[in-house]
Amino acid sequence: FINRISDLLGPIIDLLNPEKSGNRLLREVFFLQTFLTHNLDKLLDSGLYTGEITELTGSPGSGKTQVCFSVAVNISHQLKQTVFYIDTKSGMCANRLLQMLQTKTPNMEEQMEALQKIKVFRVFDVFSLLACLQHLRSNGLQKASVGGGSVKTLMVDSVSAVLSSMLGGKQNEGMSLLMQVAGELKMIAKDFNIAVLMTNHVTKDGNGHLKAGLGQSWSHVPRTRVLLQRVEDTETSSLRTATLTKSSRQACHLVEEFDLCHWSEERRTSISGKRKLEERSKP
Amino acid sequence: MHTPHSRSVGGGNAPFWLVCQTAIKHQKKKKKKKKRKSTVNSKMHRTVPSLPLAPSMKVKLINAGFQVASDLTDMRPLQLCKEAGISQEEAVEVLQVLRDDGQPHQQRAATESLTALDLLHQEQALGSIVTFCSALDDALGGGVPVGKTTEICGSPGVGKTQLCMQLAVDVQIPVCFGGLGGKALYIDTEGSFLVQRVADMAEAAVQHCTLLAEDTEQRQALEELTVEKILSNLFLVRCHDYVELLAEVYLLPDFLSEHPEVRLVVIDSIAFPFRHDFEDLSQRTRLLNGLAQQLIQLATQHSLAVVLTNQMTTRVSNGQSKLVPALGESWGHAATQRLILHWEGLRRLASLYKSPSQMEATIQYQITVQGFRDAPDEPRTTPDSSAVSSPSGNHSKRPRMEDLS
Repeated sequence: FINRISDLLGPIIDLLNPEKSGNRLLREVFFLQTFLTHNLDKLLDSGLYTGEITELTGSPGSGKTQVCFSVAVNISHQLKQTVFYIDTKSGMCANRLLQMLQTKTPNMEEQMEALQKIKVFRVFDVFSLLACLQHLRSNGLQKASVGGGSVKTLMVDSVSAVLSSMLGGKQNEGMSLLMQVAGELKMIAKDFNIAVLMTNHVTKDGNGHLKAGLGQSWSHVPRTRVLLQRVEDTETSSLRTATLTKSSRQACHLVEEFDLCHWSEERRTSISGKRKLEERSKP
Repeated sequence: MHTPHSRSVGGGNAPFWLVCQTAIKHQKKKKKKKKRKSTVNSKMHRTVPSLPLAPSMKVKLINAGFQVASDLTDMRPLQLCKEAGISQEEAVEVLQVLRDDGQPHQQRAATESLTALDLLHQEQALGSIVTFCSALDDALGGGVPVGKTTEICGSPGVGKTQLCMQLAVDVQIPVCFGGLGGKALYIDTEGSFLVQRVADMAEAAVQHCTLLAEDTEQRQALEELTVEKILSNLFLVRCHDYVELLAEVYLLPDFLSEHPEVRLVVIDSIAFPFRHDFEDLSQRTRLLNGLAQQLIQLATQHSLAVVLTNQMTTRVSNGQSKLVPALGESWGHAATQRLILHWEGLRRLASLYKSPSQMEATIQYQITVQGFRDAPDEPRTTPDSSAVSSPSGNHSKRPRMEDLS
């Protein structure tokens, strides 16, 4: 009991101490330039910030997993840092990561090295997710930093897949689990100075407008929220728009357009005759 | 002032200092017990609220002072029973859950990670199931991937069940021919499974392999590949409503442990039992999401491909109507890959709508007597397309093929 109180008061006392707190706040926050595309980085105010949670929402097929892959590949290849990726939908496809790496560098060794820096956890329900996050918080992340690499990013794809079946109806545990997951993510982000990126699904509200899933309570958890959408009525079906729906740094409702094909340019140029036939017959 | 130490201090009119005192004494007792546990266990950090127990149980445990899972590990059921005020059976259950949670494979899943490089090697080893339509195989990156869930949506009559039956036959093609050599489980909820049709497809597949056989290994495998063997490796389950379907999926892990050669599970269709007689739509969404996660877990842990069939519904917006996949917006996020089959005039087209690794593509296919095949005017033709009666010409004038969907 007393130990717990001192645990709680410790950080508060630190914050109140003027010397220590000022340095702490100023020194340790920095951002990770994600090199996604110039547009997306602009939207995120130059990148992902450590110590914060950023959320990507969008309809199926809007590119959330692709953006996560791109961020993982950029950070592991260009910034040479370890990335932790928690995959709940078996959407992680190492072949795709390799394709993206191949457009960045033709050197096989570099590609393999970058792939080794991405660590994947596969969990399929909320209790395993909590077990994984608690394990990371207690010894997983320290082990990773001790080993030489530094961990600066944690991705969870997707949070809504495991939580949405627990909410609503007569279940009384849903909110508690939701808040526990939120608490774990926030503690990991703050204590270890890590940028957390997660994906969420969308639902339609009464008027037919898209809104992020998991309800109002979850909307307070991420600091920044980006909505990805397809661009209708275009010839190339790989265009997407990103809209900033919640941010503490920039004006909301900034929209940027980007192209998913940008991350696999080589593949596009090596289209065989067959693929061209398919493109012509696209609706 | 003497007061008896009782566990139910929280409720009632006990003064605050008394509550604190009792709680402190309680914690001291707990600490004495904790000293016995000196081995570092990775379970030590798991908090009690995050354990997979019933909420009422967790409330009782937390009120009794247990905060972390390691507080509970070295308790006997009788002790736990007295401390937490739960019945003996419940105490045994709680300790059982903790022990299961600490099982090697559970812990490994949650706490150990694979690097992307390991995953790459794994994916290359897993392979995919061909569909005998080379355009579709190219679009899917080799075929229906193993280890992921694929959803096939389409209007009635476009060929979803045909594709499912074709996959159930194709998964059994021997490894030396480039197939997986595995068995298939077909869960039929609509009653549209026709054995005679599968027998025709199996015969066509065997003929196709016979044409391809080159070396002795392949010829040996071909001797064993008969229509009877293909039909006997196909397990069929008929579910009449959603409760049966949920029960079947719940029992699948046991079935799959008994039959480890199963490489394909087809649910045709998953929309049918959930679209009839369901008043509470939010409950339907929850059930479907839970079902999808269970299927993804099975696909990953047992290395199989899961194929789901979905129906289409009409969405009216801005005075226009559009055909969209049924079961709602959040179901769209459930499957890993989504394939939409649709008509364009007399042509059948398949569009890859959502995939983590493949680009979007639309290809044409057709249904012949042999099964699911390439459309005749594609430059790459398989030997069976010689059975196509009319030559390719004008698309809109191509006669419709006989099919039994």
